Amino acid sequence: MRWVVLCTVAVLALVASVVLGPAAVPLSELFRSDIVWNLRAPRAVLAFLVGGSLGVAGAGLQALVRNPLADPFLLGLSGGAGLGAVVALALHLAGPWMLPLAAFAGALAALGLVYRMGLVGGAALDPRILLLGGVAVGAFAAAITTAIVSLADAAELRNAFLWLWGGLSAASWDSVLLLALYAPVPLAVLLAAARPLDLLALGEEPARYLGADVEAVKRRVYLAASLLTAAAVAVSGVIGFVGLVVPHIARLAWGHRHRSLLPAAFIGGGALLAIADTLARTVVAPRELPVGVVTALIGVPVFAVLLRRWTIA
Amino acid sequence: MSAPPILSLRDVRYRYPGATQDALAGVSLGVGAGEFHAVLGPNGSGKTTLVRLALGALSPLDGQADIDGRSAAGWDRQALARVVGVVPQREDNLFPQRVRETVLLGRYPHLSLWGKERPEDHAAVERALVACDATQLADRWVWTLSGGEYQRVRVARALAQEPRLLVLDEPGVSLDLRHEMALFELVRSFVERAGLGVLMITHQLNLAARYADTVLLLSDGRPAAAGPPGDVLTRETVERVFAWPVTMQSLDGRPQMVPLRQPKEPLA
Amino acid sequence: MALAHLTRRRSPISISPGMGIFIMRRLLLVVLLGFGCRPSARQASRPAERVVSLLPSFTELVFAIGAGDRLVGRTAWCDYPPAARAVPSVGDGMPPNVEAVAARHPDLVVLYNSGPNVTAAKQLERLGIRTVLLDLNRLEDLGPAARMLGRLTGRVAAAESLVAAMDSLAARPPPPAITSIVVVVWDNPPIVIGRGSYLHQLATLAGARNVFDDIAVPSAQVSLETIAARNPVWVAVLADSARSGPPAFAARREWRTVRAVREGRFLLLPGSLFGRPGPRSAEAVRELRARLEATR
Repeated sequence: MRWVVLCTVAVLALVASVVLGPAAVPLSELFRSDIVWNLRAPRAVLAFLVGGSLGVAGAGLQALVRNPLADPFLLGLSGGAGLGAVVALALHLAGPWMLPLAAFAGALAALGLVYRMGLVGGAALDPRILLLGGVAVGAFAAAITTAIVSLADAAELRNAFLWLWGGLSAASWDSVLLLALYAPVPLAVLLAAARPLDLLALGEEPARYLGADVEAVKRRVYLAASLLTAAAVAVSGVIGFVGLVVPHIARLAWGHRHRSLLPAAFIGGGALLAIADTLARTVVAPRELPVGVVTALIGVPVFAVLLRRWTIA
Repeated sequence: MSAPPILSLRDVRYRYPGATQDALAGVSLGVGAGEFHAVLGPNGSGKTTLVRLALGALSPLDGQADIDGRSAAGWDRQALARVVGVVPQREDNLFPQRVRETVLLGRYPHLSLWGKERPEDHAAVERALVACDATQLADRWVWTLSGGEYQRVRVARALAQEPRLLVLDEPGVSLDLRHEMALFELVRSFVERAGLGVLMITHQLNLAARYADTVLLLSDGRPAAAGPPGDVLTRETVERVFAWPVTMQSLDGRPQMVPLRQPKEPLA
Repeated sequence: MALAHLTRRRSPISISPGMGIFIMRRLLLVVLLGFGCRPSARQASRPAERVVSLLPSFTELVFAIGAGDRLVGRTAWCDYPPAARAVPSVGDGMPPNVEAVAARHPDLVVLYNSGPNVTAAKQLERLGIRTVLLDLNRLEDLGPAARMLGRLTGRVAAAESLVAAMDSLAARPPPPAITSIVVVVWDNPPIVIGRGSYLHQLATLAGARNVFDDIAVPSAQVSLETIAARNPVWVAVLADSARSGPPAFAARREWRTVRAVREGRFLLLPGSLFGRPGPRSAEAVRELRARLEATR
C-alpha cells in the first residue's frame, strides 16, 4: 500500500515537472513542444535521478557512520567540487563540460583524501574518522576556494558560487544519459549492501559474527555513496537536505530494513527533488530560485517535525 | 567423544600491535558437539582475545585456530556463521526493532544476496524463539525488554543461525539471579537435547563448575589449568590465579568456591 | 567628519531626469550644509589636484572633463582612454587597497557606492583623505556624476557640456524596437539582464527590446525554458577582447533549444565599451544599433 502511494506521488511529481513551468505551453501542444521534450523532460528525469541518488546515498551513509545526522555533503565532497570548479574557471579552462568535469575531479580528490584519513591500520575504515575528516576536508577546500575567488578575477568566479548553490538548469538528455549510465553501478552496490547494513546497526563485532564482511561492506558503502554524491554535485551543484531528510521520512513508513528503505529513499528523493525543482521554476516566474533553497525550505520544517517525534518517543 | 572438535585452538599465541606482552600464549582448547566448555579467569586474562582468535577475527602469531579442521581466519564469513553462532559481550542496536526482526537477522548466513526471506527462515526464527522461551516477546520492541529478556533474544538470534556450536562471551553479566540461572539452564539444554557444542566465557566459577563439562582457567594470557571442573578448580589453583583466599566445597559432585574474608589491617 | 556621501542608495527603480535634477538639488543642499558644518580649517571647496579613481567609468569621466592630468591613481581595469594606462595602478579595487591608494597622496578619492567601498572610504577619511561615493548604475547617474566630478576638480564648465550630453542620452525617448534581445550574464544557472540594468537601457536605445523587460531588477536567474519560449532574435553576451567566437554554452545541448543559439545569432559586446556606463555610452548605443541593422 505504501509503495502504491509512493510511486503515485513520484509519477505525479514527474508529470507536474513536465506539464508545469514558466513558459506557457498549452496542453494540446505538449507532445510537440521543443521546450517540453528538450528542456523540461530531461530536467525532470535528471531531478529524479539526482534526488534518488542523494536519498540512497544519505540512507547508506547514515547506517555506515551510525549517525542519523549524516548527509552526503558531510563528506567534504561539496567543498572539493566547488574548489575544482573555481580552479577551472580561474585557469580559464574552456569547454561546455568543463565545469561538471572539474567539479567531479575535485569531488574525487576530496573523496580520496577523506578515505585515506579514514583508513586505520591496513584496510579498515573508521566511520567516525570519515565523518570528522569529511568536515575538515570540506572546510579546508572551502577556504582555499574563497581565497582563490578573492585573489583572482572577481566577477566570473563569484558566479561559480551561484552554480554551487545547486540547480538543474544544465539538464539535457546528454547529462541524463551520463548519469543513467553511471549511477546504476554504485546504486547496485548500495542495494546489495542492504542486509549487511542491517547487521551493521548492531555494531561491527556482532555484524561480523553474523557473517557480514564488515570491512568490505564499509568500504563499498562509503565509496558507492560518495561516487553517487560526486556525480550529483558535478551535474547539479550542492542540493542540501535531500540526503538528510528523505531517509528519515522513509523510515517512518518503511522502518529500518534497508532492503525496503533504500529503494523507498530513492523514489522518495527523486520525487522530492522533482517537486522542488518545479516549485523553483514556477513560484517566482519568470525568475528562478536555486533549487537548494527550495529543498532547504521544505526540508527544515520536516526535519523539525521529525526531531519533535524523536524527543517525544 | 571421538568426533573431531568443531572449534580447536592449538598452542596459540597473540600479541596486540604496540603491546609489551602477549595477550595470550600457549593456549589450547577443543570443543566438539555435545560439549559444554567454559573459559574462566580474572579480568584481562585474555578471554575475549581467545574468542576472537577462535573465530578468525584475529590471526594467531603462533599456533593454530581451526573451525572444522580448517583455519578459522580462512573461512568465508557467511559459511562460518552457519557453523558457529556467537553472542558477543556488547551490542549497540542503533535502530528500533521488534524482537522477531532482530532474531531474523540471524538468518543472514543462510540468505542469498538478492533473495527474500523464505518460509524455512521464518520457521527457524520460530524454533529459536521457542527454544529460548521467548515466543511471547516476539512482537515487542527490543528497547522495551529487560536485560534478561534481551539476552534471551540475542541467544535466540544466534540459534536462528542453526549453528553446530554456540559461543557466548560473558552472557550473564548484569543479569539478576533468576535470569542468569535460567540462561545457564537454557544453554545446558541445548547441549543435552540438541547436541550443540558450547564455548562460554564467564566470570561465574561456581556456575561454570556445575554446568560445564570442561573448564579452561586462564591467568595473564596463559593456561593455568584445563580439564573437568573437579580437576581444575582446586583451592591452590584458584587462590593462585585470583590472588584471594578461598575455600572449596562440593555440590552435586562439583566443586564450589567460597571466598574467605580478608579484613583490612588497621594502619598502625 | 561626515564624508561627502552624496548620493541616494542604490535602487532598482529607474528615475526620470526630472527626478534626477530634484535629487541633485537636494544633494547640493546636503553638500553645502555638510561643508558648512565643518569646523576644521581644511579647505573643502578647493579643487582637487591629486585624484584617485577607483572605477573605470570615473576614470573615463575625469579624462572627459579635461582633468585627466590630475589623476594620480587608477584601478587595474581602467584601460580607457589610452592615456589612463600611464597613470599608476592601485590594484583591482575590489575591495580597494587602502594603503596603495594612500601611498599616492591623493586629496580626492572617487569610489563607486557599494558596501565594501563605504568601509574603504571610512578608512581613507580617517587618514584625512577626502572621499566621494557615487552611484553609477544607470545612464541617468552619469550626468550627476560628471557634474560632481566637475565641481570637485574645478572643471565645472567643461563638465557641464558633458553633463548635457549624458542627460540628453538618458532622457532620449527610445526608438521603435526593430528586434528583440536577451543579454546573458551567466549560463549555469542562466542569469539575464532585467530592466533595472543600464545594459537594458543601452539595448532599448539601440532599438532592441529586452525580452526580460518584465524583470525589474538589474539581473536575475531565470529558467532556460523561459528564454526559449520568449525566443529573442539575438543573444548578447559581454566578452573580453581576448576571447572570440561564440560563448562556450553555445555548444551545450540544452541551450540549443533557444533558436538564437541554434542559429548562432550572438552579439559579443566588448566589455570595455559596453560593460560600464560612461562617456562612451552614446557610442555604445550607436555601435549596437549598427550591428543590429547590418544583419537584419
